[in-house]
Amino acid sequence: MNLDTAVEEFEVLSFKLGDQDMAFDVENVEMVIETPQITRVPKSKNVIEGIINLRGKIVAVANLPKILDLDVDVEKLKSVIIMNVGDVEIGFLVEEVNGVMRVTEDEYDRNVVSEKFGKKSKGLIKKDENDLVVYLDVNEIVSEIVSAGT
Amino acid sequence: MMKEEYLSVFVDESRETLQSLNDNLLKLESSPEDMETVNEVFRLLHTLKGMAGTMGFENMMKLCHKMENVLDKVRGGNVKLTESLMDKLFTGVDIVERMVNNIVESGNDVLEDIDVDSIVRSFDEIQGTETETESEKTEEKKEEKPEKMEGIPIEVEEPVRNVVEKAIGEGFNSYYIKVTLKEGTQLKSARMYLVFHKIEEMGGEIVKTVPPVEDIEEEKFDLDVDMIVIIKKDKEDLVRAITSISDIDRVIIKDFLPKTPSVKEKPEEVKEEVKIEEKTVEERKTKKKLTQTVRVDIDKLDTLMNLMGELVIARSRIVDTLKKYNIKEVDESLAQLSRITLDLQNIVMKVRMVPIAFVFNRFPRMVRDLSKKMGKEVNFIIKGEETELDRTFVEEIGEPILHLLRNAIDHGIESKEERIAKGKPPIGTIVLSARHEGNNVVIEVQDDGRGMDRDKIVKRAIEMGLIDELKASTLPDERVFEFLFTPGFSTKEDVSEVSGRGVGMDVVKNVVESLNGSVSIESQKDVGTKVTIRLPLTLAIIQALLVKVNNYVYAIPIANIDSTLMVSKDDIQTVQDKEVIVIRGEVIPIYKLWEVLEIPHETEGGAMNTVIIRIGNRKYGLVVDKLLGQEDIVIKSLGKIFSDVKEFSGAAILGDGSIALILDISSIG
Repeated sequence: MNLDTAVEEFEVLSFKLGDQDMAFDVENVEMVIETPQITRVPKSKNVIEGIINLRGKIVAVANLPKILDLDVDVEKLKSVIIMNVGDVEIGFLVEEVNGVMRVTEDEYDRNVVSEKFGKKSKGLIKKDENDLVVYLDVNEIVSEIVSAGT
Repeated sequence: MMKEEYLSVFVDESRETLQSLNDNLLKLESSPEDMETVNEVFRLLHTLKGMAGTMGFENMMKLCHKMENVLDKVRGGNVKLTESLMDKLFTGVDIVERMVNNIVESGNDVLEDIDVDSIVRSFDEIQGTETETESEKTEEKKEEKPEKMEGIPIEVEEPVRNVVEKAIGEGFNSYYIKVTLKEGTQLKSARMYLVFHKIEEMGGEIVKTVPPVEDIEEEKFDLDVDMIVIIKKDKEDLVRAITSISDIDRVIIKDFLPKTPSVKEKPEEVKEEVKIEEKTVEERKTKKKLTQTVRVDIDKLDTLMNLMGELVIARSRIVDTLKKYNIKEVDESLAQLSRITLDLQNIVMKVRMVPIAFVFNRFPRMVRDLSKKMGKEVNFIIKGEETELDRTFVEEIGEPILHLLRNAIDHGIESKEERIAKGKPPIGTIVLSARHEGNNVVIEVQDDGRGMDRDKIVKRAIEMGLIDELKASTLPDERVFEFLFTPGFSTKEDVSEVSGRGVGMDVVKNVVESLNGSVSIESQKDVGTKVTIRLPLTLAIIQALLVKVNNYVYAIPIANIDSTLMVSKDDIQTVQDKEVIVIRGEVIPIYKLWEVLEIPHETEGGAMNTVIIRIGNRKYGLVVDKLLGQEDIVIKSLGKIFSDVKEFSGAAILGDGSIALILDISSIG
């Protein structure tokens, strides 16, 4: 794996999608906002909901459940996590943001390969037996969006 | 650290100097006898050498120095400016240019594939052989002062002569003075400073020194300094005063009479100094010019532009809000705010504008090289290079124009024999021009060559299945020429090295359209071809017509709107499965915006709002739900995520904070 093993503790932003907790690396997160009015962009990719006016900037917003092939009603997606990934600024629609979570190496299992999410997930975070968080690879997700056709 | 700081300035200035070098070399090529240009080239090379030396780029300095020497010889009449010498100088300048690029990329001026020493030697050889043929003068020089004679010309420049003459006319004496310091003197520059100071104290003026003052300040001299002084005092007083300074070994003083250089004492040295003065005077001039402008980081300009955009949006928002309340008191201040914002916007726009000369400058050199290679003679004329356009275009538009020029030289201009046979002037003409036309910048590349062969183009279009034979015969010329913009379309049978690979015109079209511009071709067989590029004045803020479909607002650039009208169902005819309307005998295809964008739409009956779009010669109608009105919008990019969506060129934030997508009208239809 490409994660630096010397790092013993790291932080993630955890959020809810359907009945599953998921997380992004905190360092890519720019801010979290309430879902504003989204302007649809006709003929754009299926997973893209549209664009928003983020303090004078135009930012694309993607439907994260659609990307992960989860069935969540768009109405329920109340928050947008704005992320900076390389030179792309993009927002992801999620249900609810739980907050920032500290994770130790012991709690992070990078060997769990998810059939459903494939490379979009880079493992599982186990707080305890009943608290499993899918740790998403935002770089992979964004590069899949950019390279995908409509 | 100092070096890092100055590096970018060095690079910028080197590039500027190289550009003027190229220009002047071209000028020189057409009029080799023009001494003023020779001097200019010499001065530029000298400047370049100095800059390279200061920054410690030895190779670049060496090369510039050698070229400078050659120019010196030319100036002295010892070397003739032959064609091969011109080529050598051009090559030399190219190498220096590559060195500068290399400095940008890897921080040094070492070019791996080029042996600078051998090139330097080749310049030396020029001097060598030419000196032999004109040995008299040089030998004379060598006898008198061999160690300093190398590469220094003996020419008294007119302006310097005038200065001295004028001074003499006003009752001054003019002297040549050679001051030699004692062996092992410490603080040599300080000593020399004392000498200068003393002379000035006595009411004298030092019109020049060898080496130049800068070098003296940096102790870049051995023990002697030569100078020319204008002073009222006589020789004896001067010598006494100078020798009173400690550590002065010896002072030689002679009358300096510029008009009679035949005074056989040490005329060469005198002239030599005159020359150096000439340089410093001109250097001073350049410095003065530089202080009138400020170099600004491009990022800062972009930020300024973005802020300006925000301001425009905020203003519209305030205006919108206050309109609802209809408060009389704020009307005036609101009007003032609008005025100021508009002025500010114009200024910011202007700051971003640069003369198109930045793009055009490099073409004369390129045309020269290319026409030489193709064995064609071309008279290249540039018009309107002062025309200003947004700096964003400057980076983008060079390539397309280059392509057009290549095409003109390669395919357009005929060989000399062919031209004579056709009764045309033997030398072909290519005109590159720029001008403002309304809110557009129009760039034209026009040649008087063989023109486009309509039949060949039609034949090829039929081959490619772009059109059938029947239709082709009635197609107007301009439509025929539009085929040239089709990817893979080339009528030149044999692929030449320069162009004709069929990748030319479609690239031109793509680039120009990505800048919201348009291209068109006019051509007449055996008369010539004219390619016209139209660009908007600026990319960042445009006037747009806002239209509505469903509940979304879309923006159409005003520049591309021909007219708007109401179209009823009865007006629409169907021709070959396409809906068209006929306006004043013109058949115009119409598209419904919702169909173009593939969004669901419930069509009501009755008349429909239609916007007639014009791109170059092409027109089409766009049906929308509602016309909202005209507004200044700030174009923002949609970014990578939407790179697959061709229908939009960007988005704009409207006064109420909502977003309007900007239609890329050239990709529709």
